[in-house]
Amino acid sequence: MAEGGGGRGDGGDKARDEFFSEAKELVDGLGRDLLGLDDALKRGRTDVELVNDVFRGVHTLKGLSALFGVTRMAGLSHELEDVLDDLRLGRLEVTPGLLDLLFRAVSLYSRVLTAEKGDGEAPSSEIEQLLVALGQTSQRPTGGGGGAVAQYDLDPALFGVLTEYEEHRLRSNIQQGLSLFRIKVRFALATIDSALDELKASARPHGEIITYLPTGSGADVDTIELEILMAGRGTVEVLRGAITGPNVSIEEVRRRPGGSSVPPALVRGVASLPPQTSIAPSAAPPSMAPRPPGAVTPPARETGNVRVPDAASSRDGSSVAPVHQPRQTGSKAVVPEMSLRSVSQTVRVDIRKLDLLMTIVGELAIVKTAITKLSDRARSRAADPRELATELQRLNRTFERHLAQMQGGILEVRMVPLGQVFDKLARVVRQISRELGKEVNLVVTGAETEIDKLIVEELSDPLMHMIRNAIDHAIEVRAERLRVGKPPIGTIALNAFQKGNHVVIEVEDDGAGMDPKNIAAVAIRRGIVTADEAAELSPREVFALAFMPGFTTREIATDMSGRGVGLDVVKTNISKLGGVVDIASELGIGTKITITLPITLAIINVLLVEIAGRLFAMPLASVDEAILLDGSQIRTVDSREVMTVRGASLPICRLDRLFGLPPNRRPREYVVIAQVATRRLGFVVDELVGQRDIVIKALGPSLKGVRGFAGATELGDQRVALVLDVAALIEEVLSPGEARFLAWQPAVGRA
Amino acid sequence: MASLAKTRTDKRAARRAGEMGARTEYLAFMLAGENYAVRIAHVAEILKPPPITEVPRSSPTVLGVISVRGRLVTVVDLRRRFRLPDAPVKANIDAKIDRKARILLADVGTGEQIGLLVDEVQQVWRLAAEEIEPANALGGEQPAHIAGIGRPAGEDGTVLILLDLHPILESP
Repeated sequence: MAEGGGGRGDGGDKARDEFFSEAKELVDGLGRDLLGLDDALKRGRTDVELVNDVFRGVHTLKGLSALFGVTRMAGLSHELEDVLDDLRLGRLEVTPGLLDLLFRAVSLYSRVLTAEKGDGEAPSSEIEQLLVALGQTSQRPTGGGGGAVAQYDLDPALFGVLTEYEEHRLRSNIQQGLSLFRIKVRFALATIDSALDELKASARPHGEIITYLPTGSGADVDTIELEILMAGRGTVEVLRGAITGPNVSIEEVRRRPGGSSVPPALVRGVASLPPQTSIAPSAAPPSMAPRPPGAVTPPARETGNVRVPDAASSRDGSSVAPVHQPRQTGSKAVVPEMSLRSVSQTVRVDIRKLDLLMTIVGELAIVKTAITKLSDRARSRAADPRELATELQRLNRTFERHLAQMQGGILEVRMVPLGQVFDKLARVVRQISRELGKEVNLVVTGAETEIDKLIVEELSDPLMHMIRNAIDHAIEVRAERLRVGKPPIGTIALNAFQKGNHVVIEVEDDGAGMDPKNIAAVAIRRGIVTADEAAELSPREVFALAFMPGFTTREIATDMSGRGVGLDVVKTNISKLGGVVDIASELGIGTKITITLPITLAIINVLLVEIAGRLFAMPLASVDEAILLDGSQIRTVDSREVMTVRGASLPICRLDRLFGLPPNRRPREYVVIAQVATRRLGFVVDELVGQRDIVIKALGPSLKGVRGFAGATELGDQRVALVLDVAALIEEVLSPGEARFLAWQPAVGRA
Repeated sequence: MASLAKTRTDKRAARRAGEMGARTEYLAFMLAGENYAVRIAHVAEILKPPPITEVPRSSPTVLGVISVRGRLVTVVDLRRRFRLPDAPVKANIDAKIDRKARILLADVGTGEQIGLLVDEVQQVWRLAAEEIEPANALGGEQPAHIAGIGRPAGEDGTVLILLDLHPILESP
């Protein structure tokens, strides 16, 4: 029934898959460009290039979605295209209100895509609303300017070949009082591409190239003469100094005699300065700086007096509020103007990496040939078994080495920068802070930190929840911040860095911080812990309560957070990735949530253990050591077994009991001591089988309710071993609150 | 849609449009002494049971996981799923799997493939619409996974319980 839903679920529709990934890329790109526009707008400029990028993106989306019958998306794109075309041609100007609409469109795009994939409802009514709002914006002329153009001594035929866009640029440049220059250049056909680029580069600081056309008067067949029309503020002498060359002639386009200067009335309302111009914003006509509030504002939204929270300008090192800038070292600081755009959007692979992999495959083929030869020789009786064995050993070593290289190479291919997900977050920050009327700077460091593609995909939701929480709950409103002596604008720092085999992501805010007493009180009220239990918790354990399902300190849920569904989702998603979440907070100073994740999920080194006759794998990354279980060292404290290891106590967990497996009756048992973040737990197992590199596979959706397993792996003899989710198990065993939720788990009862 | 509905007789209305007219192929198998059949289009593969790895804390109907060419597949014990007698002891999977037993790799085109353990695979039946009784012919309320009863013409006494795999795959 759903319009455009045809073809959904028709298995193996590869083209449709490609549509989704391409559309998603485009939508992500739109979001980035809009942030860029927003940023430029705050500095009082309209970035013409970005408007064009957005227009092109929407245009492509329109074609793409029409092709795949996603009519909702095509319809929305069509309407957006109109608005963007108006923007591009200067019939409309960029305002915060209009940007709001565009950001809304981006989020609707994502939701339509999700709905098309079959997860969730299509936001039809919201699209309708947006279409209406967009319809109200279009066709708001900002003043002609044709008269101004007519004052110039330009060939009337020129106007016939100018595109509407070029005409608009010409007009708006003239309105800003810039002069026009005509540059004639003769290029050799062989080098025209690079030569033209060079010329553009040297012209850029002095103005904007409006158009270039061949003059048709080429002296010979190997050269071509172009006439370049350029608008600039400087004099013709300055331009002549900048653009030099043997075949260049530059002249100013003169005004027709009698033409007056541009009437000021025409200047008003034109807010577009090309990004290339070197003119400082202050030099622009004063009418440009304050944007007319509400020009394109949807009804009932206050925009005029709220300082637009500055998400994107965090890229600009200087504009960051001087609150705290952890780890913002010179080399790691995000490059202004670059970070939002310089991200790869899918796993794009450097061809050299692939070449390297190919070379390794070649090496492996050689090993294979050698093995074939060897097996032939082994079959003939004459062969010396010892010699064969030596040869085989040598081959095996070579094979192992190449395999390791291969693994490393493939892992590298899977790595993508975290910037991919950080970009989306910048958008979220802008949107939420605007909706809540709070002012927030997002400071990003370490966007270039690389992590497995799979993990990046799964990270966006948890991080978004955390950021929402930070803005909604932590960052105070301006008046309150000023009262307590904080900078009026809040800061959220998003830091990423690599630490050994892990990637650490910190979300830090300088908001109100969390009060352990308050959290404990809420947890008791919500029935998560009893008052007695709460009294025994360390502050750190108290903070961990905030990650429990159903926890919220807000009495009234706001639109985006406060429903108590945020933080527990964060924790669940992170532990699914084999990561841990830690929280530290100081009342009145701020909160820092730290996520520690493995760099890759693809190939992991595990310890194989046997429990009740079954093999399980434990990721070595979280295993500290394995020791023989010494029964005399075990004490039962508060119904929990604790073992003394080298003078320190260590809680232990009998996995056979936890998993409801038949109890072990062996005389010897082992304790595998695992550590995740700062928590340690000893797992009692029957046997240590050995180490292995495995490829971990996810369990099917039918088993998603089963806790404690990160996946499974094939051991080579058709047997499958489950991989323990050590972080989740530690959490389950050690967290007092959560243990109560486990009571209903059938397997525990069976033990 | 409306025009399609008009051409349907009441008897056929219980079945899906795709099954009308031409004969449909069903794969028949034994389960606790009864004959069952599923649309062969929904069976991707018939496997000799490899070692099945039990998943602690999973639902009792789940036997465990197997690896099918590098992919993990959840295996469901159909006997347990249908609450049939003689449910084998879960803890001792390997011993109870008969050499005739097979795993049907069920795939209805949406979501994941699930392995269904059956006692024995028999044959393929091509059933015409006339040879299929709707589930309500059994009288009373039938579970969602029973799609109908197959009575192949000229095979007196052969009764096939036709299964709809969708509900089984949705909640194994």
